[in-house]
Amino acid sequence: MPKIEIDGIEVECRDGITVLQAALEAGWSVPHYCYHPGLSVVASCRLCLMEMQMPSPKGGGMEWSSKLVPSCQVPVKNGLVVRFASDQVKRNQRRVMEFLLLNHPLDCPVCDQAGECLLQDYSYEFGDPTSRMRDEKHKSPKKDIGPRTLLYSDRCVLCTRCVRFTREITGTHDLCVTHRGSENEIDVFPGKALDNPLQGNVVDLCPVGALLDKDFLFKQRVWFLKRTKSICPGCSTGCAVSVDSNEGVVYRLKPRYNPGVNDWWMCDEGRFGWKYMHDANRITAPVIRRGGVTGTPPWDSVPEIVDARLRAVIEAHGPDKVAVVLSPMMACEEAWLLVRFLRSVASEATLVLGPVPIQGQLQMFPVGSTGDAVRFTIRREKCPNRRGVETIIAETGGPTLSFEVFCEQATAGAFAAAWIVGGYPEPWVTKDFAKAVGQLEFVVAQDLFPNEVTEVATLVLPACGFAQREGSFMNFGGRIQPFDRAIAPPDGAKGDGQYLYELAGFTGLYSGRAVREMMAQEIHLFSMVKEAPPMPVHQH
Amino acid sequence: MAWPTIDRQSPVTDSDAPPLLSDEVKAKIRSFFERYETRRAALLPALHVVQESLGYISWRAMDEVATVLDIPASEVFDVVTFYTHYWTKPRGKKTIVVCRSITCELMGAGVLLEAFKRHLGVGEGETTPDGAYSLATEECLAQCDHAPCVLINEKKHGRVKPDDVPALLADPDNDKLEVPRSDLYDPVLGEDATTRPRGGERKG
Amino acid sequence: MGDYEPVLLRNVGVEGAATIGVYKKRGGYRALAKALKMTPDEVVEEVKAAALRGRGGAGFPAGVKWGFLPKDRDVTYLCVNGDESEPPTFSNRVLMENDPHQLIEGTIISAYATQSSIAYVYLRVEFHELFHILQRAIDEAYAAGYLGKNILGSGYDLECYIHRGAGAYICGEETGLIESIEGKRGWPRNKPPFPAVEGLFHKPTVVNNVETLCNVPHIIERGAGWFTGIGPPGSSGPKLFCVCGPVNRPGCYEGPMTITVRDLIYGDAYGQGMIGDRKVKAVLPGGISMGILTGDELDMKMDFADPAEYGLLGLGTAAAVVVSEDTDIRVVLRSIAQFFAHESCGQCTQCREGTSWMYKIARRIAAGEGGPGDLEVMYETAGNLGMMPGLSICGLSDGAAFPIRTLIEKFRGELEQHVREAPDEIEQRSPSTVRS
Repeated sequence: MPKIEIDGIEVECRDGITVLQAALEAGWSVPHYCYHPGLSVVASCRLCLMEMQMPSPKGGGMEWSSKLVPSCQVPVKNGLVVRFASDQVKRNQRRVMEFLLLNHPLDCPVCDQAGECLLQDYSYEFGDPTSRMRDEKHKSPKKDIGPRTLLYSDRCVLCTRCVRFTREITGTHDLCVTHRGSENEIDVFPGKALDNPLQGNVVDLCPVGALLDKDFLFKQRVWFLKRTKSICPGCSTGCAVSVDSNEGVVYRLKPRYNPGVNDWWMCDEGRFGWKYMHDANRITAPVIRRGGVTGTPPWDSVPEIVDARLRAVIEAHGPDKVAVVLSPMMACEEAWLLVRFLRSVASEATLVLGPVPIQGQLQMFPVGSTGDAVRFTIRREKCPNRRGVETIIAETGGPTLSFEVFCEQATAGAFAAAWIVGGYPEPWVTKDFAKAVGQLEFVVAQDLFPNEVTEVATLVLPACGFAQREGSFMNFGGRIQPFDRAIAPPDGAKGDGQYLYELAGFTGLYSGRAVREMMAQEIHLFSMVKEAPPMPVHQH
Repeated sequence: MAWPTIDRQSPVTDSDAPPLLSDEVKAKIRSFFERYETRRAALLPALHVVQESLGYISWRAMDEVATVLDIPASEVFDVVTFYTHYWTKPRGKKTIVVCRSITCELMGAGVLLEAFKRHLGVGEGETTPDGAYSLATEECLAQCDHAPCVLINEKKHGRVKPDDVPALLADPDNDKLEVPRSDLYDPVLGEDATTRPRGGERKG
Repeated sequence: MGDYEPVLLRNVGVEGAATIGVYKKRGGYRALAKALKMTPDEVVEEVKAAALRGRGGAGFPAGVKWGFLPKDRDVTYLCVNGDESEPPTFSNRVLMENDPHQLIEGTIISAYATQSSIAYVYLRVEFHELFHILQRAIDEAYAAGYLGKNILGSGYDLECYIHRGAGAYICGEETGLIESIEGKRGWPRNKPPFPAVEGLFHKPTVVNNVETLCNVPHIIERGAGWFTGIGPPGSSGPKLFCVCGPVNRPGCYEGPMTITVRDLIYGDAYGQGMIGDRKVKAVLPGGISMGILTGDELDMKMDFADPAEYGLLGLGTAAAVVVSEDTDIRVVLRSIAQFFAHESCGQCTQCREGTSWMYKIARRIAAGEGGPGDLEVMYETAGNLGMMPGLSICGLSDGAAFPIRTLIEKFRGELEQHVREAPDEIEQRSPSTVRS
């Protein structure tokens, strides 16, 4: 670990990073636009400049170089001495901020980025309060560059992060710089819109309000948003994300830095894949059917109903006539609680993993890359936790069946009761499955939307979307990643974890962490949770 | 917002969309490949050939050049707009470039430019209605010993006075070079009427 | 000075000098034959011994540049910088138009010294006529066996291609030039790595200016001692100087680096004085990038050392544009500011924004709408640009800063009159009134 000196303070830093990165990690506030740890270094915004000691040209010892040096470009080296706290450095920061605002429209009141804008933040921290610009501003156009993204060129600082992203990470080369000098603009080739599966990241990368997400446009001021740490359930990659919500409504998802999993990025499928949570058709209250009569039982009565009906089935048909179809959309904790409850009532209940949605092709980026060159992967398995649920089934032991065999046997009358968990955002009940369910005497369906199963189930329980739940998912590589609850379940509904917790005989509030600790006693694997690192104060 | 949004999701249809690049033009572009380690490096020569052939670089031509070089169209757009010598709109048969840099300015380029405007009846960046001339200015043409200087297509004219403008414009050979030409970057002259020679009627 | 025998320009004005036959008759390609009998290292050593400093503007010793090439390299490229775009410079044009084989010979020898396999001559596109002349000369050199495989039976192979630019001053910066050959926008690269280590197509690359390479055959033929015998130490060898503007004989002239700006303007072998005996108000003696001199500073020597004494950035391209007493200094200010605003590549913030801001102010001052604070803002902005203080990737912005800073320093009185006391417009001048 090299030691360097920044502003007279010794800092121990990781190998192979730059001075800028080391300073940011050690808590320095160093303004920068073009630098991003996930992209190549271009050193063109010239804002992170520092002073550095160099061997004196006259010989004999080190002295401060008269020249400023981009800290984003200098690798750390033992004994390096630099400073940001100098008049020369500060003067440059002031001037760069003035330059960048010369032609900026200063339209913060109507800009989505306001509140998380590095022009605002840096101007406040490093800039001058007034501009000396007397001449007319150069006005660059607003461009509709893709189905999901707008470009306000007049707010652009030409850091080229977005262009480098489409060249280095997606390999799709959608964006380019056009023209020259102060006429420089970001653009796409007309008719070849920014429409790659990772394009939303350019909005995150944009340090100012130039690239904006149409879906989020004018929807919400960012300072009203609450950020909640979550894991994207869109595929088995398990990207760390932040769910940004306000008053029970999700407004957007943003990736969180998660090295080795999604780094700084996420795909559009995941980014915009949360809308179903606010769908008006969702099941929001328990439903019970008795002899053609449908009612809404109070939540209090649910454990009793389930318990009584299951015991009746067992008495009539035996303890091996009960099955539970677990969903790969469930959190590990939820699956564990459900299995624990059912096995406590029906000790020989069969455990089944429900359908695992597989869609499309494995997508690796940059396009065409393989092996170590791959920077991001979108997986075919469109659920977050197949491995987690499989692990719980395997570690629990006892009778298990594959989903296909369960369907066959249930159709043949091998089961009398089943607890069926869905929770898929897309329709998922096949004809065969519906037919199999039709043979059962008692069915509990836990799901998001009405379907052929919930239409016939004796008891329907609302399931919640991922942002309304908490727990953990095990991704494709076996990494167990916790996620927090961002918003409350819809009115009338209860979190899946909460009612499963109660069914399992616990009282009080469900907590993913507490349940995980209990699980870890039985299944040691669940003690090894990997959280994405916290975002640095000065995020990129 | 108060000002319009440019639609970049739809392709731009060129006003008088020239035909696809001919096989000859593509072959000419490919002839540069052997000179460089990458095909991409043939981009500047390719654009010169296209511009000489079509008279300008249309959106469609950019896209086709990208295909020939196997590079993204966005990067062709990037390069075309960086360099001032490539133009994306049709120009007249001859382009008059008046140098506007310091020596020429000191020697009267401003008044000379006005004379051209007056005689041609067009402004800077415009083309005469008959399509004969376009008028442009550029930074230093490195002919400062002959300031103020002017280029008419390939041909340079030095120490041009405002009074010389009518005669210069009337001279049909005002763009004809005196030295033998190399056809390395020349347009491929096909049967097609849209291909047009520049730099004088060298085919006789 | 009158007895100086031109070396680089010796073929200018000679009938047919651009053809290989005449060039050879006048001693051409002898140096090449001699060089090919030497080892490449011996050629490098000879050029190092001559202390040939780059003529493109920065004055870096060419032999030392060659010496930076890594020993264990496979492919090396030589790029000939013929992007000549610095106002008011035309010496490369004169060299190539009149004596293209001199450049080709210098290129082959230098390529041999650096063991380059391909030499790219980067030619600004506006040099149309010159392109045809040079391409023809290259064709002749191929036909004569000076280019291609096994040159003169030496076993050394070299291809030489012209790569035409497309209108961008920044492509005269060596890494901008490299990017441009690679088919990209000419955005200069961060250094290190320097081109000698990682240049064109990521291979070791040397970029030399046309005039620099034209000196090489003469050094090989006559020896380093001859070269260092011309001019003062540190500024040795023959040098081309341009002089233009309202002088009696604008042109490109050769001499030792002992001459002064005054010699260049008034010398019989040079500009031969001002048109109509006008007084000199100012001179930009090294191309516009280096800064400005007043009429009282004409004793500056046109060498690599003296310009700094006058607050200038350097010798630059040694091309002087003279401004006469009847010229409003605001014309010069606006012209310089416009040039750099137009030519800034836009990569680094300070240069992109600073040059366009300075142009806006200069244009307004020239339009008679200058106001208090304008000069201060412009002067300070010019101080917030440049590679020397580390504020940009390349030196373009130093070149934008120096003329504006020196101009405001040296002509503040006149500028202030226009800005503060009597805002007024500039009178347009016609070429006929200048020349009559």
